[in-house]
Amino acid sequence: MRNAGPKGAPRKAKNFWGTLRRLLGYMSSRLLAIGLVFILAVVGTVLQTRTPKILGEATTEIFKGVMVGMKMKEAGQVVEKLPIDFDVIKNVLFTVAILYVLSAVFQYFQQFTMTRVAQRTVYDLRKELKDKMNKVPMNYYDTHSNGDIMSRAVNDMDNIANTLQQTLTQFVNSFVLFFAVLYFMLTISWQMTLIAFITVPLSVLVISLIAPRSQKLFGAQQKKLGLLNNQVEETYAGHVIVKIYNREDAEIEAFEKQNEELYQSSWKAQFFSGFVMPMMNFVKNVGYLLVAVVGGIKVANGTMTLGNVQAFLQYTNQFSQPLSQMANLANTVQATIASAERVFEVLDEEEMTEEKSGVTPIPNSPYKVSFDHVQFGYGDDDEELLMNDFNLNVKEGQMIAIVGPTGAGKSTLINLLERFYDVKGGSIKLDGVDTRDITRDELRSHFSMVLQDTWLFNGTIMDNIKYGSEKYGQDENRVLAAAKAAHVDDFVHTLPDGYETILNEEGSNISLGQRQLITIARAFLVDPEVLILDEATSSVDTRTEILIQKAMRKLLEGRTSFVVAHRLSTIRDADNIIVMDQGDVMETGTHDELMEQDGFYADLYNSQFAEKPAV
Amino acid sequence: MMKLAKRMNGLAVMGAIMFMVIQVISDLYLPNLTADIIDNGIATGDVSYIISVGVKMLGFSLLSVAAATGNVFLASQQSQLLGKNIRSSVFKKVSYFSNDAIDEIGTSSLITRTTNDVVQIQMVIMMALRMMIQAPIMLVGAGIMAYTREPQLASIFLYVLPILAVFMVTIMYFAIPYFKKMQSKTDRLNLVFREGLTGIRVIRAFNRNKSETKRFDEANKDFADTSIRANTIMSFMLPVMTLIISATNISIIWFGGQYIGDGMMEVGNLITFMTYAMQILMSFMMLAMIFVFIPRGQVSAARVNKVLETESMVKDPEKPTKVNMADKGTIEFDHVDFRYTGAEQLALEDINFKSTKGQMVAIIGGTGSGKSTLANLIARFYDVESGSVRMNGVDIRDISQKELRSMMGYAPQKAVLFTGTIRSNMQYGKPDATDEEIWHALDVAQAKDFVSELPKGLDSYVEQGGSNFSGGQKQRLSIARALVSKADILIFDDSFSALDFKTDAELRKALAVEAKDSVVVIIAQRISTVMNADTILVMDGGRVVGKGTHEELKETNSTYQEIMNSQMREEEL
Repeated sequence: MRNAGPKGAPRKAKNFWGTLRRLLGYMSSRLLAIGLVFILAVVGTVLQTRTPKILGEATTEIFKGVMVGMKMKEAGQVVEKLPIDFDVIKNVLFTVAILYVLSAVFQYFQQFTMTRVAQRTVYDLRKELKDKMNKVPMNYYDTHSNGDIMSRAVNDMDNIANTLQQTLTQFVNSFVLFFAVLYFMLTISWQMTLIAFITVPLSVLVISLIAPRSQKLFGAQQKKLGLLNNQVEETYAGHVIVKIYNREDAEIEAFEKQNEELYQSSWKAQFFSGFVMPMMNFVKNVGYLLVAVVGGIKVANGTMTLGNVQAFLQYTNQFSQPLSQMANLANTVQATIASAERVFEVLDEEEMTEEKSGVTPIPNSPYKVSFDHVQFGYGDDDEELLMNDFNLNVKEGQMIAIVGPTGAGKSTLINLLERFYDVKGGSIKLDGVDTRDITRDELRSHFSMVLQDTWLFNGTIMDNIKYGSEKYGQDENRVLAAAKAAHVDDFVHTLPDGYETILNEEGSNISLGQRQLITIARAFLVDPEVLILDEATSSVDTRTEILIQKAMRKLLEGRTSFVVAHRLSTIRDADNIIVMDQGDVMETGTHDELMEQDGFYADLYNSQFAEKPAV
Repeated sequence: MMKLAKRMNGLAVMGAIMFMVIQVISDLYLPNLTADIIDNGIATGDVSYIISVGVKMLGFSLLSVAAATGNVFLASQQSQLLGKNIRSSVFKKVSYFSNDAIDEIGTSSLITRTTNDVVQIQMVIMMALRMMIQAPIMLVGAGIMAYTREPQLASIFLYVLPILAVFMVTIMYFAIPYFKKMQSKTDRLNLVFREGLTGIRVIRAFNRNKSETKRFDEANKDFADTSIRANTIMSFMLPVMTLIISATNISIIWFGGQYIGDGMMEVGNLITFMTYAMQILMSFMMLAMIFVFIPRGQVSAARVNKVLETESMVKDPEKPTKVNMADKGTIEFDHVDFRYTGAEQLALEDINFKSTKGQMVAIIGGTGSGKSTLANLIARFYDVESGSVRMNGVDIRDISQKELRSMMGYAPQKAVLFTGTIRSNMQYGKPDATDEEIWHALDVAQAKDFVSELPKGLDSYVEQGGSNFSGGQKQRLSIARALVSKADILIFDDSFSALDFKTDAELRKALAVEAKDSVVVIIAQRISTVMNADTILVMDGGRVVGKGTHEELKETNSTYQEIMNSQMREEEL
C-alpha cells in the first residue's frame, strides 16, 4: 500500500464491483433523490422514445393520403389536393409536442437533482478524507509523500466528481433508453427488432476488439507522460546545475528520446480511441440499412405501415446511441473506479488508537516529565529499534538542551513527547501520569512547540498568531502582548496592512526570520507548561537573528523546556545537556561537567570551535 | 494558437480535411438513398430496387468508415506530432535560458507550460482536425442538400438556427462566470488541503484539528455550491436543445404534410429532410461545444508562446576569446554593478576584489545582502550592468558560456541531485570520471562513510530530487560532484549550512588541501566557516562593507562583529 506506483501509471481497478458498491454507498443517504432521478430518467426517456412511434402515425397518415390520392389519380380523377387528414395529423403533432415538453421538463429536473446529489456526495467524500487526515498516525505522513496524498485528494477526487456528475446520469439514461427503445421496437415488429438487434453483438465485438488495446495504449501513454514530466521537473529545477556542468545538450538528447516515445504511444492511443466512433457509426448504418431494406419490403408487401418503418428507423438510430455511449463510458468508469480505490485506500488507513498504558501513575511525582526505559523505532515491530532504553527525568522549570549529530534521534524525542508517535516499550510520564492515559488533545495543551520549519498558513498575520490557542486567541490584548513579546510588533508596523497583512502562499512577502518570530508569538500566546524548541539554523539575517534569540530567551524563562540546540549560548545555559547518538543518551550533565569528562561532547564542542583563534 | 498550428505538415492537414469531406459527403448521401428506397422502392413495391439501393448504401457506409479512419489517423498523428514538436522547442529553449528568463516566468510555471499546456494544445488540435472541420462541412453540406431537396421547407432553419444561437449564447453568458469562479475555488480547496499536509505537526501540536476541519469545510462547501450553480445552468442545455430539435421535427411534418398535400413534395423527402435537420442541428451543437474548448487552448497557446518568445539576456560572444586559467589564473570583479530585471535598486553595487588560484575568498552577510547574486555573476547566470568580471584578465562576456562553465565546480544553496545512481550524479560534470576519482571526491566531501555503507555503494539509486538522502547527505554529494571535475574555480553557495559543526570543520580541512590549485569561493552564514579564508568579503545591502582576514575584520568591522556576536558569546572569542 505504501508504494503508490509511478505517477500516471496505468490505473486499473483492483476490485471493480466492490469499489463501485462502496462508492454508490456514499450516495445511499440521498436514496430518495436518486430514486427521483431514476424515476425522472425512466419517465423522461420513455416519453422521448414514445415520440417516434406517435410521430410515425403522422407520416403514416400523410402516406395514406398520398396512396389514396394516387389511386384516385389512377382511377382518372382530378386531384387538386391530396386527401390527407390534417385534423388527425394536428392531433398527433399536438400529442407529440406535449410529450416532448414533458420529457424536456423531466430531463431538466433529472439533471437538477443529479447535480446536487453528485456535488454533495463528493463534498461528503472530501470532508471524510480531510477528517481522516486528522486521524491517521504521523507515520502515515512519513511514508507517503505530500505529492501522492495531494494527487489523491485533488486529481482522483476530481475524477470521481466529474463522473458522478456526468457519467451517472448518462449511464442511467443509456440504460433506460436501451430498454425503452427495445420495448417500443417490439411493439412495432418483433422480426424487425431481431434484425436491429444484430447491431448489439456487432457493437460488442467492435468494443471488445478496440477497447482493451486502446486502454493498454492509454496506459502506456500516461506512463510515458509521467516519465517525461519527471524529467522536465528535474531538469528545470536543477537548471543551474545543468548549466554549470554544460549538460544542456545531454539533457535535451535524453528529453528527445522520451518525447519520441511519448509521441509513438500517444498517437496510437488517440487513433485507437478515435476509431471507436466511426466503427460504431458503421455498425449503426448497417443496422439502419437492414431495417430500411426489410422495412421497405414489408411496406411493399403491405405488412407494415410507412409510419412504423420511419419510427423504426429512428429507433434504430436511438438504439445504437446507448451502446456507443456505454462503450465510451466504460473507459471513464474504469478510471473513476481506480480513482475511487485510491481515495478509499486512504480512508482505510489505520487510525491512531487510544490504548491505555496500564502504567500506574506516580502521585506527587518529583518530575515534570520523565522518560522511563523508553523503546522506540519508526519501522514495524520486528525492525531494529532506534531507541533501546532511553531514560531521562526533568524537573519543573529545567531547561534541557539536546545535542548530537544528524540522525541521533533528537527529533524522535520531540515526536514522542508530543505523542506524534507512541512508545514501543517503557513509559513517558507527565506529572507522573503516563502520556498514553491522557488524551492527545489534553496532553498537547500542556505543550507548545516552535519548530525550524516555520509553518504559516495563507491568512493574516493576526490569524496566524491566534492560531496558537483557540482559548486565548479571542483575547485581543493577549494576542498583542504575545506579538510584542516575540518582537513581531517591531516589524509589523512597517508593513502596509500591519497585522492584517495576508501572508501569501509561498510566504515570500515577509522574511524567513520574520516568519520565525510569528511562530514564536504563537507559542507565547499559549503560555505552555512545557516548551519544545527546535533552534533555527537557517539563513536569517543578523538583526532578525538577534531578535529571535531575545524572544526565545524570554519564552524560555522559568519554563520546563526541551531545546534542540545548535547554538553555544543555549547549550551553556542549559540545566542539563543530553548528548545523543544513534537513539541513545551518550552523556548527560552541565556544560562544565561534560567538558570535564572529555568524552563525546567535549569532542563535538572542540571540533566546532577547533579553529577558534586565541584572543 | 494559429502560430503554433503553422508547424503542422500542410499536406497532412489537407489530407485530414479531404478525408473529412469524403466522410461528410457519404454521410449526407445516405439519407438521400433512404428517400430513394421509400419513394421508388416502396411506392412501386420493387424489392430488387430496394436491395440494389441497399447495397449502394452499404458501399457509402463503408466509404464513410474508411474516410473517417483516414481522418482519425491523420488527426491523431498530426496533433501528437505537433505536441511533440512544441514540447521539444520549449524544452530546448528553456534549457538554454539564462537565469533572468527563468526568474521572469518561474520554474513551476515553466514546467506546467512544457507539460500540461502542450497537452491542452494537442487536445484542441485533435478536436480541430476532427470536429472543427466536420461541423461546418456538415452544416453547409446538410444545408445545401436540404435546400436542393425542398427549398420551401428549408426556410424553417431560418427561424430555428437564430433561436438556437441566442439560446446557447445566453447559457454561456450565465454559465461561464461560474466556471471561472469554480477554478479559483478549486485552487482554494487545494491550498487549504495542502496546508493541512505541510503543517501537520503544528496543527497537531496546537490542537487545531477542529479549526482546520472548519477551514476546509468552508472551502469545500463554497466549491460544492458554486459547481451546483454552474451545473444547474448547464442543465438547461440538453432539455432545451431537445425541445428545439423536436419543434423543428414537428414543423417539418406539419408544413411538409401541407406541401405533400399540395403535391409539391414527395413523401420520402419528408424523412430525408428530418434526417438532414437532425444533422444540421447536431453540427450546430458541435460548433458550440468547440467554442467552449477553443478559449482553453488559446490560453495554453499564449502561455507556450510566451516561453518561445522570451529571449535570454546572456548571449555568447560572436568571436569567443580563449582563456587559460592554468598556472596563476585570477578572477577579478572590477567596479561591478548589478540589478535584477525591472528592479529599482541595485542588487550589487561597486564590487571589487581579485583572487588568485590557491586562494580562498569567503563571503558573509545577512539574507538579501547579495552573496548568492555575486556567485551567480561569476558563473554568468546573469550579466553585470556595469563594470566587469574577468578571468585571467579576460571579460567573461568575451568567453563562450560553455568554456567559462567548464572551468567551474559549483554547489548551490539547495542541493540538487538527479534521478539515477550516485555514480551518474558524480559523473554529471565529468562523464569519464573513474571510480577512484569519485571516491576521492566523496572522501573530501565527507561523504565517503555513508556512501560506502550503502549496500550498492556508487550504484545506489538516487530517487527524484535525491529524496532518499537526508539534507546533509545531499549537500555533501553535491559538494563531491563539484570536486570531481577538478575545476579551476570552485563555488560553494552556502552549501555547508545543513552540515553539523564537526562535519563542516572536517570538510573545510580536507578542502584546503584538495583545492590548493583552485580559486575557492565560499558563501556562508557561520563565522566558523569563513574564518580561515584568505579574504573575507562582508556584505550588506548589496555592497561590500568589509574586506580582509578574520583577524582584521574582527577588530575593525562593525557588521562583522555584529554577526560574530549573534553566533558566539563575546567571552568565548
